[in-house]
Amino acid sequence: MRLYEYEAKELLQKHGISVPKGAVLTEKKSSQFMPCVVKAQVLFGKRADLGGIKICKDTKQADETISKLLNSTFKGEQVKSVLVEELIDLQKQYYASFLFDTDTRSPILLFSTQGGTGIEQQKNIQKFVINELEGLEEGSVRAFLKRIQADEALAPLLTSLWSFFVTEDCKLLEINPIAQTKTGYVCLDAHIDLDDFAKGRHKDWNYGERAASLGRALTEREKAVKTASDADYHGTVKYLELDGDIAFLAAGGGGSLTCMDALIDAGGKPANYTEFSGDPREEKMYVLTKQAITKPGVKGCWIVGGIANFSRVDTMMTGIVKAFEEVNPKFPIVVRRSGPYEKEGLAILKDAAKKHGWNVEVYGAETPLTATAEIIVKKVKEYGNTNR
Amino acid sequence: MAILIDKNTKVLVQGITGSTGQVATELMLKYGTKIPAGVTPGKGGQQVHGVPVYNTVKEAREKHEINASFVVVPPLFAKSAVLEALDAGIPLILVFTENVPLHDTAAMIAKAREKNAMLIGPASTGMISPELSMIGQVGGLPDMVSKIYKKGTIGIISKSGGMMNETAWVIRQAGLGQSTVIGMGGEILVGSVYADFLRMFEKDKETKAVVIWGEVGGTYEEQIAEVLKNKEFTKPLAVFIGGKFVEKMPQGVQFGHAGAIIERGKGKPSEKIEILRKAGALIAEKHYELGKIIKDAL
Repeated sequence: MRLYEYEAKELLQKHGISVPKGAVLTEKKSSQFMPCVVKAQVLFGKRADLGGIKICKDTKQADETISKLLNSTFKGEQVKSVLVEELIDLQKQYYASFLFDTDTRSPILLFSTQGGTGIEQQKNIQKFVINELEGLEEGSVRAFLKRIQADEALAPLLTSLWSFFVTEDCKLLEINPIAQTKTGYVCLDAHIDLDDFAKGRHKDWNYGERAASLGRALTEREKAVKTASDADYHGTVKYLELDGDIAFLAAGGGGSLTCMDALIDAGGKPANYTEFSGDPREEKMYVLTKQAITKPGVKGCWIVGGIANFSRVDTMMTGIVKAFEEVNPKFPIVVRRSGPYEKEGLAILKDAAKKHGWNVEVYGAETPLTATAEIIVKKVKEYGNTNR
Repeated sequence: MAILIDKNTKVLVQGITGSTGQVATELMLKYGTKIPAGVTPGKGGQQVHGVPVYNTVKEAREKHEINASFVVVPPLFAKSAVLEALDAGIPLILVFTENVPLHDTAAMIAKAREKNAMLIGPASTGMISPELSMIGQVGGLPDMVSKIYKKGTIGIISKSGGMMNETAWVIRQAGLGQSTVIGMGGEILVGSVYADFLRMFEKDKETKAVVIWGEVGGTYEEQIAEVLKNKEFTKPLAVFIGGKFVEKMPQGVQFGHAGAIIERGKGKPSEKIEILRKAGALIAEKHYELGKIIKDAL
């Protein structure tokens, strides 16, 4: 879970790490700091490049900036709050981030003596590999800083940031910049991604709902599926709305990616991305299917999955059929699924299709998984031509 | 001879009394996997499908010969279970548990390196050396397992558990069988990666070629290219990369597995394919072509 800058700074402060004095405003109010920096609170995109961060020298300028930024949008994401901070008089800027590296399969520290904007283009970023079990000792950070000819006085702060990264179960902790001031180091911006898998051991992580990672708020359909998915621990269903006309119901993390590619390659336009896995119960499959097939403009439905390891095909089909019975779709439906209890599962769908006169074609393991993409695309095209 | 597991593999099931642990144990026993013991703290003295349960790994190891562990415990207990197995000297550990916190996984990996042990997963569905042994829950029910997994010459490595079956199946449909098939897990960090398994497949006389299912995100696919360039793997290799559509989406959106995300410009399927092709891997544009491609390369 990505944190807003203000949430990240509150958490850092709780751990005794220095951040500028500031206040979060959700409505127009004058800044208590002058001069000050006004920062739009958004989770995605480079707000600095888009005018989301402004230095204000007087109250008039600050008031104007605050009212201009509040409720504005950055790449589709609405600004619900602004952070107003004291302006820090800085002498030098550093960059530091802690994250997990797939090359070394370890946590790493990325560090640069030239922090601030434009860090993506920087060539001079140093990498320091950390052993998760041993942690980061102040002595080894000192040696690292000395080797790259950086200020060794940064060592205690970097060690504290490492402890924070571990204690708060971060996937990413990025401070850009760390400002060197006359009195010490201050974290001017903070980017934190908490590890959702660790939520069970952090009862204090009470953060509100986030915008979808696409930068927009969750749609009603996405919310409904998420609620159903979170309702019990049996499996997960994910749903993300897209612009196309084929409702896409795919099993498995890997299977769903393979099939999305196949659908697009075949010339199809997915109305959504979906993934269901871990043997979801009927109710979850029902909600997912209902949301996916009732999306306006849907002209077909592709239910696809590889040979499942443990997800039951009969449970899945019972949920899907329940949604179909409520909607009674006229559009074509193509199914390719295999796995435990597939004979029973595919029969449930075939019987219901016969009874209600649905336009369903069912394939099993003998037909390659992605080959059925071409079939649904062809059928949707035919359906579109006859139902203009 | 297959790699990693065979008739001599003796598997401890950590978390054997849980619902998934019980089901997996039953399926493994039916397949012929040797399971001398299981562990669940506080449940010592019970039996699951005739397998004795102990409170600790140490205790189980004192009473039985054990050379592998299958970890199927709740996510927040996975780290301590794995560290316990490593401390008890078990050389091969497969973690089935999903949703393990990243810091815990990093700790397991560091410890496995220290102990020179092989860690597979977390979030690995399992692995199978057809007709010899299986760890995990691979291929569903017994009739399906024997339909899609047959002793043969092709090694398979997949980040996805579902696509592991599907890939094994296209190999079977091409009239070939498999030496060993591994689900390595699709998390950001996993204990062992393609490169590690390829080096083992190179040494295995039975394996004539390897097929890989890879996907968007991370750099594990890119590491395969290094193994090829260094001649650490010299047999035919066919690769399919999933998730090409993710490149058309905004960066930083995760699709499917936790590791399936393009971040800081890294993890693009088009780049993975380019690097692998240059290094000499055979690329399948469509997944079902993998069977024909590898058959033609033999």
